[in-house]
Amino acid sequence: MAARAPRPGPAVPEGRRSRGAEWSVTLPSFLWLVALFVVPSVIVFAIAFKPATPYGGIGEGWTLETIRTLGNPNYPAIVWRTIWLSVVTTVACLLFAVPMGYFMARAPKRRQNTLLLMVIIPFWTSFLVRIFAWKMLLHPEGLLKRALVALGLAGPDTQLLYNPWAVLLVLVYTELPFAILPIYAAAEKFDFRLIEAARDLGASPFRAFRSVFLPGIRRGIVTAMLVTFIPALGAYVVPDIVGGPSSEMIGNKIAQRTFVDRNLPEASALSALLALAVLLPTFGVLVLNRGRDLLAPKSENSP
Amino acid sequence: MTFPRRAALPVLALTALTALALALTGCSKPQPVLHVYTWADYIQPELIRQFETQTGSRVVIDTFDSNEAMYAKIKAGASGYDLITPSSYMVSIMNREGLLRPLDHAKLPNLKNVDPEYLAIALDPKMQHSVPYMLTNTGIAYLKSKVPDFQASWSAFDRADLGRRVTMLNDMRETIGAALKFLGYSLNTTSDQELEQARDLVIRWKRNLAKFENEQYKSGLASGEFVMVHGYSGDIVQVQGENEDIAFAAPQEGTSVSCDDLVIPKSAKEVDLAHAFVDFLHDPKNAAANSEFIGYLCPNSASYPLLPEEFRANPAVFLDPAVRARSEVILDLGDENRKYTRVWDQIKAAD
Amino acid sequence: MKRSRVPLYTTIAVLVFFYLPVLVLVINSFNASRFSSGWEGFTLEWYRKLWGAREIWHALRNTLIVATVATTVSTVLGTTAAFALHRYTDRLQRLHYLLIYTPLVIPEILMGMSLLLFFVAIGFELGLTTIILSHVTFSMSYVTMTVLGRLQDFDWSLIEAAQDLGADWWTTIRRVLLPLLAPLSIDDFVITFFVAGPGSTTLPVRIYSMIKHGQPPLINALSTLLLVVTFATVWLSQRLMGDKR
Repeated sequence: MAARAPRPGPAVPEGRRSRGAEWSVTLPSFLWLVALFVVPSVIVFAIAFKPATPYGGIGEGWTLETIRTLGNPNYPAIVWRTIWLSVVTTVACLLFAVPMGYFMARAPKRRQNTLLLMVIIPFWTSFLVRIFAWKMLLHPEGLLKRALVALGLAGPDTQLLYNPWAVLLVLVYTELPFAILPIYAAAEKFDFRLIEAARDLGASPFRAFRSVFLPGIRRGIVTAMLVTFIPALGAYVVPDIVGGPSSEMIGNKIAQRTFVDRNLPEASALSALLALAVLLPTFGVLVLNRGRDLLAPKSENSP
Repeated sequence: MTFPRRAALPVLALTALTALALALTGCSKPQPVLHVYTWADYIQPELIRQFETQTGSRVVIDTFDSNEAMYAKIKAGASGYDLITPSSYMVSIMNREGLLRPLDHAKLPNLKNVDPEYLAIALDPKMQHSVPYMLTNTGIAYLKSKVPDFQASWSAFDRADLGRRVTMLNDMRETIGAALKFLGYSLNTTSDQELEQARDLVIRWKRNLAKFENEQYKSGLASGEFVMVHGYSGDIVQVQGENEDIAFAAPQEGTSVSCDDLVIPKSAKEVDLAHAFVDFLHDPKNAAANSEFIGYLCPNSASYPLLPEEFRANPAVFLDPAVRARSEVILDLGDENRKYTRVWDQIKAAD
Repeated sequence: MKRSRVPLYTTIAVLVFFYLPVLVLVINSFNASRFSSGWEGFTLEWYRKLWGAREIWHALRNTLIVATVATTVSTVLGTTAAFALHRYTDRLQRLHYLLIYTPLVIPEILMGMSLLLFFVAIGFELGLTTIILSHVTFSMSYVTMTVLGRLQDFDWSLIEAAQDLGADWWTTIRRVLLPLLAPLSIDDFVITFFVAGPGSTTLPVRIYSMIKHGQPPLINALSTLLLVVTFATVWLSQRLMGDKR
């Protein structure tokens, strides 16, 4: 997931080779993605316009009935919850990742390696196991709860688990490494003499950080935003395991429609909606970002 | 794009692990393989080993955690499962959809042991395409030390004094059904008005719940994470072995009784072996061992005398006759299911 | 000039945040208490049970097969695609780029859902093959983007010999892609959950079922083993390859 950085356009002018050569290196991946990505996506959109049969089948003919079910009065609450959880997760990840990326990039080379490993190793352990670990930690008879009660920060009946805050906490926990990596990668290429220069010109540390460092690692920040926001929007496992009776997100609804209600058309309609909700802002960011890059082409790639 | 560039290459360890795993699980001889698709921990492992030795076959178990998830898979065309254990209502759907193979009674001599009292109320009383495997009923389990003055009634979910350490099943038919029973209606009702009342009741109960949960309530109850749960009697019997503080009660208003059946899908590849396994499971000795392991009751009359006294006296195993009279089997409602889905959506979205 | 201490404190806080749950888990894998609610003495019981749990080993085998095949296929396909994107700049490549880019921003649950519907629609039997096909589809784009990033950082004016390009490609694969791809494939739960068939349960799907079903000590033990393998691999490969600087 960490490799989600956009990289616009090739850097080398078109070669003088024949079209044949181009096709031979393009076709394998092209056809693969058409068959296993485009066609399945089209099927999802198509099924959203099919009627459902009570036994989980897909009926004959076409209908707008399913699209109308998107007006379900229960959806806005779920959509709203999904959006605020994802936005807050993204912001929280950035708040931690930017200072940490800064610290890592300024550390001596050797320590950089160690820190990087320490970030990667939890990401190398199973995602589910990490969620499970939190479930143990937040257990009502567990260590953390006892400590909080002893400190007077929680009452004996406070539930740490099974509420939207638990979902938020664990979302941040699972997404944070993905935010740190691209920010560190950008910060590592940043020329820190620029900050010293700004300080020499009388800027406060925070001012230098905000107006020199942050713009310098802009691309890393955009990547970090994408790689935390999008998985959070599609989150399904985290609310399922640590969420409560009112922590459902869109992902849970899609899974429920698919596996419990056996209503594939409605599952498809919801999926299509989520896909559009993700793709529109993403390509917006992409276009914006590319526009800025055109204005300042080489600013952040110089080693 | 190149962030973890110093992270290192794990190929060596991967290869070693692959070799290890292959050595552990791979077998060189071609053996017939029986693919069983069932609930987690639903067959005593010893029995599986015994069956494998007897028949020289290998049993591979895949698990599902809801009838609907299993059905979605089978309906979606997953073939290769030889034996499945859906609940009775799902068996009738699957049969109606032509997904099941008629059973060959000549290969199933042990069917004579099946409890005729249960068959009388079963959905497939002649066992044409299914054989009852495990009987259970839902009810309320609680920790005796943490839930004072427990009453065997669904109204227990109205108690706000349990610190939200309470769960109800994440199953629309069971949970809405509990509310319907409490209100004195049938849990198979299709009346909008009754369903709306049940909806409002569950929404009220929801304020006292930690979550809707089908699986984690077992370990949650045993570890004291939850103090009262809505669950299947068999599951409770299982965890009673781990925590003596757990008690079970079937609510006096009545509850749902359900049976999981053994069925062989049309697409099965090892049909004979699947029959042999069904017959094996209804051998009285095996049926008793299985009931004791799972904590549900295998409706096999010949196996009852083989069960330990303590087990037979457990109210979670043999339901009180008065409550049983008020209980019902969950039926498949076809198109009317949508009403339940709608009500369930409303319940989940409510704050 | 005095530097702010905020970055240092944040880093320490994040590392504690990362490792605290993992630490609790490792300690509990040796806890005799079945539900880890308090310390009831040291035991190796859970490791012994784990050794005998053959569904777990079966799942591990499936996982490793999927990870190996999917990683290999997606590396080849993705590298070819990156080369095409880098070398040519016509309309076809713009479309190609879009096609490669989109899967990266689609939530996994959507991909799982659409692949399930697709396999069902064409009547393809669900199993290890469908899992592998799905994994290649989502990891191929990562490969392409990573290799492309590398190619673009590459100073073409200085390099003539093709073997240098090859050497750089291999370094990229080894040091950047594999550490990323392997966990991607080994750890994927959501997509596998949708497209798995008979006998093809993978380790994450098994762990999910263990979490839902409640066998905490076994999960603790299994996770600790996985952690040890991870540490050992990382340490070993650091030693073997050294840091050539």
